[in-house]
Amino acid sequence: MINQPTGAQLVISTLRALGVDILFGYPGGAIMPIYDALAGSGLTHILVRHEQGASFAADAYARATGKVGVCMATSGPGATNLITGIANAYMDSVPMVCITGQVGTHLLGTDGFQEVDILGLTLPIVKHSWLVRDPAEIPAILSRAFQIAQEGRPGPVLVDIPKDVAAAFVKDVPTTGEFPSWQPPQPNDADIKAAEKLIEQSHKPLFYIGGGVEMAFAVPQLRALMDRTGIPVVSTLKGLGAIPTTDDLFLGMLGMHGTRAANIAVQDADLLIVLGARFDDRATGKLSAFAPHAKVIHVDIDAAEINKLRMAQVGILGDLKIVLDGLHPKMQDISLWVAKCKSDKKKHAFRYDAPGTGIYAPALLKLLSEKAGDKFVACCDVGQHQMWVAQHCQFLQNRAHLTSGGSGAMGYGLPAGVGAKLALPDHHVVTVSGDGSFMMNIQEMATLRRYGIPLKIVLLDNSSLGLVRQWQRLFYEENYSEIDLSDNPDFVVVAQAFGLDAFRITSRDEVDGALDRLLAADKPTLLHILIDPRENVWPLVPPGASNAEMMEERWDEPLDSY
Amino acid sequence: MSHLIHIEIDDLDGTLLRVLGLIERRGFFIDAIEMYPIDEKTRGLSVTARAKESHRRIETLLAQIDRLYGLKRVAEPRKAAAAQKLSA
Repeated sequence: MINQPTGAQLVISTLRALGVDILFGYPGGAIMPIYDALAGSGLTHILVRHEQGASFAADAYARATGKVGVCMATSGPGATNLITGIANAYMDSVPMVCITGQVGTHLLGTDGFQEVDILGLTLPIVKHSWLVRDPAEIPAILSRAFQIAQEGRPGPVLVDIPKDVAAAFVKDVPTTGEFPSWQPPQPNDADIKAAEKLIEQSHKPLFYIGGGVEMAFAVPQLRALMDRTGIPVVSTLKGLGAIPTTDDLFLGMLGMHGTRAANIAVQDADLLIVLGARFDDRATGKLSAFAPHAKVIHVDIDAAEINKLRMAQVGILGDLKIVLDGLHPKMQDISLWVAKCKSDKKKHAFRYDAPGTGIYAPALLKLLSEKAGDKFVACCDVGQHQMWVAQHCQFLQNRAHLTSGGSGAMGYGLPAGVGAKLALPDHHVVTVSGDGSFMMNIQEMATLRRYGIPLKIVLLDNSSLGLVRQWQRLFYEENYSEIDLSDNPDFVVVAQAFGLDAFRITSRDEVDGALDRLLAADKPTLLHILIDPRENVWPLVPPGASNAEMMEERWDEPLDSY
Repeated sequence: MSHLIHIEIDDLDGTLLRVLGLIERRGFFIDAIEMYPIDEKTRGLSVTARAKESHRRIETLLAQIDRLYGLKRVAEPRKAAAAQKLSA
């Protein structure tokens, strides 16, 4: 049987044949045959310290490269630890393949040791999944898994492999299988004409772009269409970077923590051209009050998104590259509208002249991104710092703002930084985290040290769960419940114990030098920054309210004075 | 209002739960289901579903079913042909 490969060896050889160069994982009982085959295979495996870290790192690797991210875990708790990362990839349409070990087929359904029905548990959060029963099918299933993860709207795919299937010898080595290549739906000419007509009739058109632009590799086509039409742009959280945030026509992020200019433009527009976005509630606020004067052109690769939440006058199902290339409207004069948008942008520009000597996080993040320039890649955690990054950082490239959008998963930032820095070694990859989020996957500092990954970490510490505190202040009558983290460990000491360089700043005059030191570092480095716990994220559209109702408070003007 | 949905599902682990779970999760009651064999690897499934809330659109649900793998939505069930084949 020496020339007969095992199912596990077929897993490894198929991954290599599919062009996988790196995968993230953690071994255990049921997946041991696969780890046995992995050793010496030439594949680079990154041993994380918690399976959630593997799924987040694979997710970020995929976002940064546009390729499929791969993670592996054993059965039972190993597999369930992947789930948050799988959900994250599903909500943000990230191409990922997750390989899990499973108990032997004779133990399935018997409550065997470390048995959990991971296929059943993940049904709602995968694009597709398999429980492999025949080792000869492994090459075909894995090949198809990679295809499904990428085709159309991307997403995660799970392949669950029982231990005996992985260990079994395969007599006749199968090929990887041939599948018809996926063809995107061709946009209908009549729909393109109808869209052009709506744009030509519009006095106040506005692009509303989402993560789909980046996912579809349609950034050049969008920028060309902007050049042809001069139409202003607002972006979702995931769409940031598709248009340089420094562009005159870019009005910022829309929605709950969007810019005033973006939300005002949406509410005033008579036409929304929605590109790879899905009318998420954080973007729309109260849906019935969203863009009340606007007709809608909605372009998406997923038919299920068109007319799901907002009816479109023109829905175009198709590849964004093709659709955007096909749009050549003869524009009427929209200069008054564009001038109004630009004027609002200027009038409501963020201010950075906070009083005092304490560190003002928005100003620090803005400066960080400007110093890092077009090599800046942010891997955010979730909370106030995440919104400040979205509001204040400069993004000149796409695939540079990696953030847990739909899922809002605290703990994403550090393992995402692992995946992104391995994908983009020449970039300034910076994990921006908060003291709440950072503790959720703090163990991955050990991964940084093990592989010498020179990730830069900006840890904004307000000794509390800041966004929850902000909501409790505003919407729960200041009933502060379980948000105090003032007993945090000394993060500098913790990071140093993990083998990182680490240093702390507490006052504004230290910011410039600290950022220079961080960006110049060639080792994994943590910058611990103490900020005022009373600082909040503004503007804020209250939950359930219209985007027209933006709350804001400044140091020289009290809440609701706007 | 009830909707009758006909689906042909491959004989793969999880496919039945995948589609029934989707219908419930996306805001529809399942009032009735019927399953029938079509061939060795395919089973027919007819589901009678009803929106839980008025804003749930059947067109969106059908598009969500269509984007699943391992199944195909059909206009008419192939029950009769299957029964004939089985009895032969």
